[in-house]
Amino acid sequence: MSNQSELPPIYSFPPLYTRQPNGLIRRQQINSWIEIILQYCISQKCWRMTAEGMPVGEPDVTKQSIFNNSSIQRVVPQVFVDEIWSQMCEEGKALGVQDGKRDSSQFYILWRNLDSWASLILQWFESSGSLNQVITIYELSQGDGTADWEFHGMPEALVAHCLKPLCQRNRATLIKDERGIAVATKVV
Amino acid sequence: MGQKGSKVQITENDRAILQLKRSRDEIHKFTRRTDLLISSERLKLKEMIKENPTKCKSDPRVRFLLKRIHYQDHLLQQALEQLINLENLVSTLEFKLVETQFIKGLERGNQILKKLNKEFENVDELMDDVQMQIAYQEEVDEVLAHSIVGVNDFETEIDKELDQMEREINPQQQIEMPSVDKLPDLKQRPIASSERKEQGKKEGTEAPVLA
Repeated sequence: MSNQSELPPIYSFPPLYTRQPNGLIRRQQINSWIEIILQYCISQKCWRMTAEGMPVGEPDVTKQSIFNNSSIQRVVPQVFVDEIWSQMCEEGKALGVQDGKRDSSQFYILWRNLDSWASLILQWFESSGSLNQVITIYELSQGDGTADWEFHGMPEALVAHCLKPLCQRNRATLIKDERGIAVATKVV
Repeated sequence: MGQKGSKVQITENDRAILQLKRSRDEIHKFTRRTDLLISSERLKLKEMIKENPTKCKSDPRVRFLLKRIHYQDHLLQQALEQLINLENLVSTLEFKLVETQFIKGLERGNQILKKLNKEFENVDELMDDVQMQIAYQEEVDEVLAHSIVGVNDFETEIDKELDQMEREINPQQQIEMPSVDKLPDLKQRPIASSERKEQGKKEGTEAPVLA
């Protein structure tokens, strides 16, 4: 990765790249990896990663896997990477792009959990006076009204995911287009 | 959250606004894309000019690129204007929705007022009735008052009779006052006394001589 300055020093620690046989240590190791991924994604505002650890999104994002550290020439084996993803999904810190499945080819990175995002979005609705109005998902994620909010720039499908807790509490409804993709929401 | 279980309702108006907003989003996307395109093409143009500063004016590729940029710019302006139009339309719609709520509120209030007024319909009759009842009440009062006055008269008659009887039974207890017949006339006395004093004085002055 090119911007190593934003990553914790443990990122340059070679044993981190080898799957530790001891279960207890391995848990620690996986936690460190999760920490690294979250930290990287917050600093880069990266919402999505491929299963190989490649950030997806803006064209200017570096096209190198986070699991490939060229400066110490270490690469995490894909099997172990899958284990990390699986643990991350379990903790609610990652979400498979394909219907939240754990064996997706891409993952959304959740440095806040879905509920926390939901309440942040709800906060926006309340403070901007947009309750009881139809707001498109695009408006939430790309509109000028949300530019100062942390969820600005979030992929639209992920926004829809984040709105689901609100739907379950009957605070929101998702409006779907003819292809069944959520395009708008109405929060009361 | 302990609220009623009903789902959030999506009305026809919501769908209409949604359609508007989606087209607005499309235009928003387009402006962003065009913006990016223009800036990248400008960069390209600058590079081309840097590459051959002398012949750039006659280079058809440079001219073409600049024309393209201008055209894109023109489109961008148009799109921005449309965007503003759409935004305005959305705001107007939302305001209209508020206004319809307002009208509905007025209507509802009017209905209730009508209903309440209906209950006042036979208020004239009621007031007449009340008036009559009051008049009747006054009449009754008067009648009652009269009979009481009669009793009062009777009372005074009794008083008179009792007085008379009293007079008859204990005839005049005259208070005996001392007779004033024997007393001298009041007017003469002071004159007499002053004369006497004068006489006394005269006597007094003369007395030492006598003594």
